[in-house]
Order: sequence, then C-alpha cells, then structure tokens
Amino acid sequence: MDDNKENRTVIEAEVPMGTVHPGALEPYRLRLFVEDEIVRDAEMTVGVNHRGVERIMEGLPVEKANSLTEKICGICSNSHIWNSCRVGEIALGIEVPERAVYIRVIMGELERLHSHLLYLAHGSEVLGHETFAMRLFYIRETVMELLRMIGGNRVQYGSAVLGGVRPRCELDQMRIQKLSEGIELLKEKLNDFANRFVSDPLVMSRITGVGVTKPEDALRLACSGPTLRATGVEMDLRTGMYEYDSFEFDVITQDDGDVKSQLLTRVFENFESIKIIQQAIRNLPDGPITNRSWEMQDTPITKSYIEVPRGTLYHSYALEDGRVRNSVIRTPSMANIGAMQYSAIGHHITDAQLCIVQCDPCFTCTDRAIQIIKR
Amino acid sequence: MSLKSYSRGRAVHVMLVYTGGCNGCDIEIVNCILSPKFDAEQYKVFLTWNPREADVLVVTGPVTKYNEQPLREIYKAIPEPKAVVAAGACALMGGVYKNCHGDIPSEEISGPVDQIIPVDAKVPGCAVRPQDVVAGLVSALPLLLNAD
Repeated sequence: MDDNKENRTVIEAEVPMGTVHPGALEPYRLRLFVEDEIVRDAEMTVGVNHRGVERIMEGLPVEKANSLTEKICGICSNSHIWNSCRVGEIALGIEVPERAVYIRVIMGELERLHSHLLYLAHGSEVLGHETFAMRLFYIRETVMELLRMIGGNRVQYGSAVLGGVRPRCELDQMRIQKLSEGIELLKEKLNDFANRFVSDPLVMSRITGVGVTKPEDALRLACSGPTLRATGVEMDLRTGMYEYDSFEFDVITQDDGDVKSQLLTRVFENFESIKIIQQAIRNLPDGPITNRSWEMQDTPITKSYIEVPRGTLYHSYALEDGRVRNSVIRTPSMANIGAMQYSAIGHHITDAQLCIVQCDPCFTCTDRAIQIIKR
Repeated sequence: MSLKSYSRGRAVHVMLVYTGGCNGCDIEIVNCILSPKFDAEQYKVFLTWNPREADVLVVTGPVTKYNEQPLREIYKAIPEPKAVVAAGACALMGGVYKNCHGDIPSEEISGPVDQIIPVDAKVPGCAVRPQDVVAGLVSALPLLLNAD
C-alpha cells in the first residue's frame, strides 16, 4: 500500500538521449530520471563506438602497433603513441636521448594546449556563448599551426617512436624561432581571453555552483586529471614522470568542483603549459633524437601511466618475438564517466549537458573493452 | 533558379554524424564551420544537430554495427533534396579498422558509408583538412540548388 501511495505522489519521468541526439555531439546513451525538472538519477552507457584497437594491435610488430594507437583518439593522439612507446622503452630498457625527451614534452604540452582550448570552446558553446567559442577556436588555430609545423599533420601528429622521436619532428633553428614566436602570440591572446572570461558577469553567474563534485566523491569515483584537480585534490602525474624532472611548473587546483572551477582549471593550466614549453625551448639540449642501439627481446606485461590532457592514461602490453601481446589501454575519460553521471544529479535538466561537458568527455577513446571488478 | 533554390542556397545546414571515428575528423569539420580562420558560416553554411532541418549530411567514421540503424534513420529523416558527404579515410574505406575483425563489413563494423546510404561526395584524408571539407561541401551543393 505504502509503495502505491509513493508512486502516486512522486512523478518521475525518464528523458532518454542518444545514441545520436541533437543535444549531444558524440554518440553515447544517456538516461536522465527527472522529477519536477530536477535530475534525480543519471545513467550513461557507452559501447556504441567500440572498434577494438587492442584487437588489431594483437600480433602486430611493436613499431606498427605503436603508430596504430595514435588512431584511438583524434584529440590526444600524441599522448597515446607516447605512452605506447614508453611501455616498449620500459620493457626493453631503452634509454631515450635528452633532446628527444624535450621534444616529446613540447609536443605533449602543445597537445594539452589544443585539448584544453577545444574543451573551453565546447564548454562555451554548450553555455550558449558562441562568441567565446569562436574566439577560442581562433586562438586554437595558432596551436594547430605549430603542431602542423612540427608533426606534419593537423590532427594525427604523433612524434614518438621507440627510442626517441621521428626525424620529421626534429627542431631546427627556424622551427624553434617560429615556435617561440607562436607561443608568445598565444600567451598574449590567452591573457586577453582569460581577463575577458573571468570578468564576464553573465558567464560567471551561469556556471557558478552548477554541477558540483565534492573531492571525496571525486576520489571515490576514481576521477583523474583536471576533473579531479578542479575539486581541490592536488594530483598530477607529471610531478612524478622522469620527462618532467627538469621543468618548473605549478599544479593548478580549484576549490569548488563546479563548472566554474573546471573551466578555470583548464584556463590556468594553459599558462603552465606555456611556461613548460618556454623552458623547453630555452634549455633544449643538443644531441641525437633517436637511440637505435637496443635489442628486441621477449618481455612480460609492462605498464606505463602518464598524464595526458584529460587525466591518467594507462597502456600495457607484453612483447613476444617483437610482436605485441595482451594489449590493454585505459583512457582517462573512462574514469571520468562516474563524475559525469554524479555531477548532473540534483541539478536542473537544462544543466545536464553542461555537467557532462565539464568533465571533458571524449567518447571515441572511452569505448574500450572493460571488465569491472567489484570489490 | 527558382525562388526555393535561391533561398535554400542562402541557408545550407550541415548535420554531422559521428559513427565511430577517432574524433579527429569531427573536430576538423566543426573547426572549418565555426572557427574564424576557415569560417564556412560566412558563406551561409551552418552546423546543426537536427536531421529535420539539415540539407547536407556529413558522415565520419567506419560505421559501427550499433550506429548502422541510427544512420539509416537519420538519412530518412532529412527532407529532400539532400546530399551526403563522407569525410575521412574511415568513412571512405574503413581506414585502420578495415581489418579489425576480418574484412569489412564484419561483426563489429558495417562500414564503409556508401554501403549503407548513398554518398554524393567523398573527402579523403586522415584526418581531413578543413580546406578539403569546404571543397567537398561545395561540390555537393549543386545537388541542392538544381533540385527544383
């Protein structure tokens, strides 16, 4: 009886979205359980996009498999190839020349810049502020030109190969000159944008207090990267990576965990990336960019974690006769799905899309074969 | 040119469908319409996510099995006259996913786009360059403008 009574008083409606929906750019399925236009529960399903790069990697020569990981994601393509090569280097004990490490760091930070700018543009568009979105796309174009200059392509520009970087990505005097000029220009543009952004009362009042994730919940949901740092937890894998040993940078954190903190974390991280690139250009060591003196051998499963624009990226594989076995890839957006569902709960249904976008989703690299272990 | 075509040519709406690519092409296409550098909007080309107001359908990615049916439905929902542009190596011939589970179409990938819906223009590249996308869109426009 009591149950029936409750059913009469509570009116709950389900709003299904997806897999292809005008409100969501990428294919994923979202179910919102709504009561009086307030989201009570959210459920997100991925899997539509699954292609299975790990399966194609199985049995490929390790060099080929590394370049294949680039195709997992069109946004953080360099990070995937970097981490995949890093697995091979750790497994085979290859020492990477210092100059190659610096070039990898420059590419990684340029990628972080373009990813964060894309995130901010996407966020502004979801906010309904198309002027900001267009302006950010305009700023991002500077980074894309630099990436095209170094990597040779606007999107798939991965620089790493086993033991160093591709010869194409060597930085000569002219490129260094162009890079430092581009970075100066970018800094100026970003400064202008950041001033404009934080002093806009309309945007700030729209995003303050929306989609709050508490730090303890973010840790419980195993979030990573800027999504975690925006809730006030100071965790950045770059502080522990040997590549970043010789660079000075701050780990950006924000206190509130709402959309404002998420956006501002990315805005301030851009300046840290610029700082790292400027240091790298200033101290770029001379020497070779690839180490070719290494021998192939069979290795057990080796793991590698790096910090990519969206969070923690995990790659692991074993080598058998120069071929890749048991490849496992875990992408950062996979970890942040929990935060996407969680932060939408308790807010108005019009904010649901914003709550999802604030966690920087990338559903194409999220669709991996996963096994959930309940503990 | 009739009045209908005249007005249609001044508001071309492009719908973009992701069918399992790597996001690279998708962002380049959004970039070529929204970003002030390429700015297809100045030629009255607009991006939409609603099939019922779209004129041109841009498809990226090797169509995964779960995306096959939605893609057909979207194609059906677009009012006549319509044009379809397949963008990127995956949409044209499967790209790196071609041999994912044997040759395409396979148990996971229904791919390439022209096996599922008729394609009018093809834009090659991995990832596509925004300049090429603009060229592809322009080459599909006569289909819309000479329809009636």
